[in-house]
Amino acid sequence: MLRLCAKNIPLRSCGTQIVRRCSGDVKTASKASDITKVPLSKSVEWLPRPVYATVSSTPAQTQVTTLDNGLRVASEPKFGNFCTVGVVIDSGSRYEVAYPSGISHFLEKLAFGRTVNMTRDDIMGKFERLGGICDCQSSRDTFIYATSVESKGMPEAVEVLAEVVLRPQLLPEEVTDARMAVTFDLEDLQLRPEKDTLLMEMIHAAGYRDNTLGLPKICPPENVMKIDRPTLFTYLKKHHTPSRMVLAGVGVNHDALVECAQKHFVEHPAIWEMEPSLGSSRAIEVDRSVAQYTGGIIKEDADLSDVSLGPNPLPELAHLVIGLESVGHQHKDFVTCCVLNMMMGGGGSFSAGGPGKGMYTRLYTNVLNRYHWMHNATAYNHAYSDSGLFCIHASAHPSHLGELTQVLTREFAAMAGHVGKEELQRAKVQLQSMLLMNLESRPVVFEDIARQPPPQSINPPPSALSPHFQPPAPPASAPKYSTFNPKSSTFSPHHQPQIPAFTP
Amino acid sequence: MSRLLRPAGALLKNYSNKSFLVKNVRYRGTIAAASYEQTLLNVPATRVTVLDNGMRVASEDSGAPTATVGLWIDTGSRFETDANNGVAHFLEHMAFKGTSKRSQTDLELEVENMGSHLNAYTSREQTVFYAKCFSEDIGKAVEILSDIIQNSKFGEAEIERERGVILREMQEVESNLQEVVFDHLHAVAFQGTPLGRTILGPTKNIKSISRADLIDYITTHYKGPRIVLAGAGGVNHETLVKMAEDNFKSLGGSYVGDAPEVAPCRFTGAEIRVRDDSMPLAHIAISVEGAGWSDPDNIPLMVANTIIGSWDRTHGGGAHNASNLAQAAVVGNLCHSFQSFNTCYKDTGLWGMYFVCEPLKIEEFMFNLQSEWMRLCTNVTDFEVERAKNILRTNLLLQLDGTTPICEDIGRQMLCYNRRIPLHELDARIEAVTADVVRDTCYRYIYDKCPAIAAVGPCEGLPDYNRVRSSMYWLRV
Repeated sequence: MLRLCAKNIPLRSCGTQIVRRCSGDVKTASKASDITKVPLSKSVEWLPRPVYATVSSTPAQTQVTTLDNGLRVASEPKFGNFCTVGVVIDSGSRYEVAYPSGISHFLEKLAFGRTVNMTRDDIMGKFERLGGICDCQSSRDTFIYATSVESKGMPEAVEVLAEVVLRPQLLPEEVTDARMAVTFDLEDLQLRPEKDTLLMEMIHAAGYRDNTLGLPKICPPENVMKIDRPTLFTYLKKHHTPSRMVLAGVGVNHDALVECAQKHFVEHPAIWEMEPSLGSSRAIEVDRSVAQYTGGIIKEDADLSDVSLGPNPLPELAHLVIGLESVGHQHKDFVTCCVLNMMMGGGGSFSAGGPGKGMYTRLYTNVLNRYHWMHNATAYNHAYSDSGLFCIHASAHPSHLGELTQVLTREFAAMAGHVGKEELQRAKVQLQSMLLMNLESRPVVFEDIARQPPPQSINPPPSALSPHFQPPAPPASAPKYSTFNPKSSTFSPHHQPQIPAFTP
Repeated sequence: MSRLLRPAGALLKNYSNKSFLVKNVRYRGTIAAASYEQTLLNVPATRVTVLDNGMRVASEDSGAPTATVGLWIDTGSRFETDANNGVAHFLEHMAFKGTSKRSQTDLELEVENMGSHLNAYTSREQTVFYAKCFSEDIGKAVEILSDIIQNSKFGEAEIERERGVILREMQEVESNLQEVVFDHLHAVAFQGTPLGRTILGPTKNIKSISRADLIDYITTHYKGPRIVLAGAGGVNHETLVKMAEDNFKSLGGSYVGDAPEVAPCRFTGAEIRVRDDSMPLAHIAISVEGAGWSDPDNIPLMVANTIIGSWDRTHGGGAHNASNLAQAAVVGNLCHSFQSFNTCYKDTGLWGMYFVCEPLKIEEFMFNLQSEWMRLCTNVTDFEVERAKNILRTNLLLQLDGTTPICEDIGRQMLCYNRRIPLHELDARIEAVTADVVRDTCYRYIYDKCPAIAAVGPCEGLPDYNRVRSSMYWLRV
């Protein structure tokens, strides 16, 4: 177990990423103005000669440190003048059962607003000066506040992150602005022709009726006016605590990151600790229930005959998603599910791009190539810590809806049948290439290391636990299987703790 | 098809529920000690080699387990005539339909089984074929790329089938209003010149383009000196050069008669209104003539673009936006979205604004927009220029994340500048831009110029052209 009190480590800048941009000020002013007249196709002779980085054979290592308040800090070096640092929190719509749904939706919109020590303008100004961007997104069980800045700006980025995560003010006027942005989102979802977001919401609601993963992620219209500052703080107080967070950095020096984390995440308290009156005084414990797959159907009648926003009509479509429970991402069958997902593949009946998009996956060869009335058919595997949904999205003209259902169920049934050697091999290679190609991108590497299991959670033997509930963490020596921090093993199967309803 | 604009943005992406299984060894960079005068860059160098037939090979080796390699070809719809407009794009489609070495199915299966991706796109001035693959498969990828551009069969049956596919693609493009508006904008701004034509070509041509047209186009334009083989990711430069020599040795490097010339394209200030009151929102682009690819004015023009900024309604932050126009848009509920653009061609460009708004707000938005433009030309401040420079640098550099964006950058820059601009130089160029430079440049490109305008939808509220034109200058003391 790595436990480190970083107090005495001297502050270092991110040593692996030595970056200095050469600016005109090295030279005389007259020369600096000349450069604006040199065609871009000509090199500027008087600039100092750059020294480039070269590939070394040392593999990059992920380092993880746990601080006193439970905050985990993870990092990894990478090429480039930029680093990505961010906070990943076990929070999201699945924890909203005792609250009005839509809190995460609001928090996303409120991110990077006024904090105890900084105004929104300070924050934006800082990122502009550091040459960076920031972003907040949430999924059903994860909140991510991330920033990409020039490597030398890492300490300031961490300071901003600590402010926005632990010390947001959520002023009433900001909440009003967030209401407007959420309302625009809701309008936009109805208006736009693609219905993927709504379908994703509905299939989760049908699969996990009224519990955990099935709770709405998009704020229901009736809650837009209901959610207010006290509600938000009551939620934050319980869920955005350091022990539920990972601070991760890609392209940064680990010790420097740990030191910054200590300074801003440990030594300064959260706003709800400084002002305990914020939010409700009633203790609402974090919902630790295990996702209960219920199955079910949700249908919504809508007139989609004229969804086009322009002069050219779009085809009228009925959308259908059929899903089955698969496994969580810590389950031993998770990789198999991913291979299955690649094998089913699919996409649009008409889609851009050449070979490589999965033209020989089953949903192409057995479905789209055979039934030309079908508009698209795509397989998805949504994996969470304790459960997952394997589903196929498809759409066709409403008159084909019955047939569409039959075709999809047949494909589901056929998955249990014979699997060809060649299609299996192809699916495996495609899965490998997809993973490695995704990892080319720094934000993806960031998310990946943020979800490495914490060092102390390696112990529980996989076989000791029912696969349905507490997935084991992979051993540290194994290839780092994705993701997420396995929850503490206190989850009790079949027992949903009684959670008092929320009252502000 | 990303052929119109490439706005910097959407940078932190991919936060979905994707999960990652395998983690391969990733390599990290090391830097040698450098003298005081030298600049340190934590990126690998771009290396360039010219082959005997004039083809250029350019690559950046990051040691990654995956790579992108591709052919960037200096040709596109600008090189067509009225009679064969659409042939460049047709060719892009036919490239994956089988060669003398492999049938269409063989090609598809080979690529799919390797876990690679093969892709292509055509713009007005460039045609691109690229492959994304494991770095150990680069050899195969280069061989496939060379095969599809040199030995494609262009079977009659496949050509007939592809006409339908392209017509279908045309429908998709027509349902994307941004693309529609930009095609109209090109049609008015470059009327009577090759840049005014669309990339897909008219339906008539799509129905009539023949095998001979395709072969004629390929033999005229796919010549060594006009092709760049670019690579990024786990790519060894020497190996890539060797692969290029082996696979492209039969590619011609010279012309028998005269080499085709690029006719200069004239910009015309004019407007087109495609009024349709049944649509809910108006989609409008307004632009002045911008600078060509290699013009140094592009840097201050991009800074100016950044000052105006981009915005849409779902952005958080309410009225707290640094962009004046975004503030006005929030306060007055003036539009649904707006986006500054700077599209470059060899000798000209389009610099302007695309916006989507309610019919009754057009005039007010135009007033705010043009006031901002005039401010750029007259009294833009140091503060906002400094701010915009930082944002611009960030956007340009942050885009270079992943092997495909880096490979695209290499390929495009090799065609546009015949070199890759080193990052420290790009930095120095941006750094050198001052408020005076922005003001001076904007004055030359925007002030008292005739804009080109394209409007689609309920655009009755768009002021008359002469009124728009008269807001391109200020009368005051």
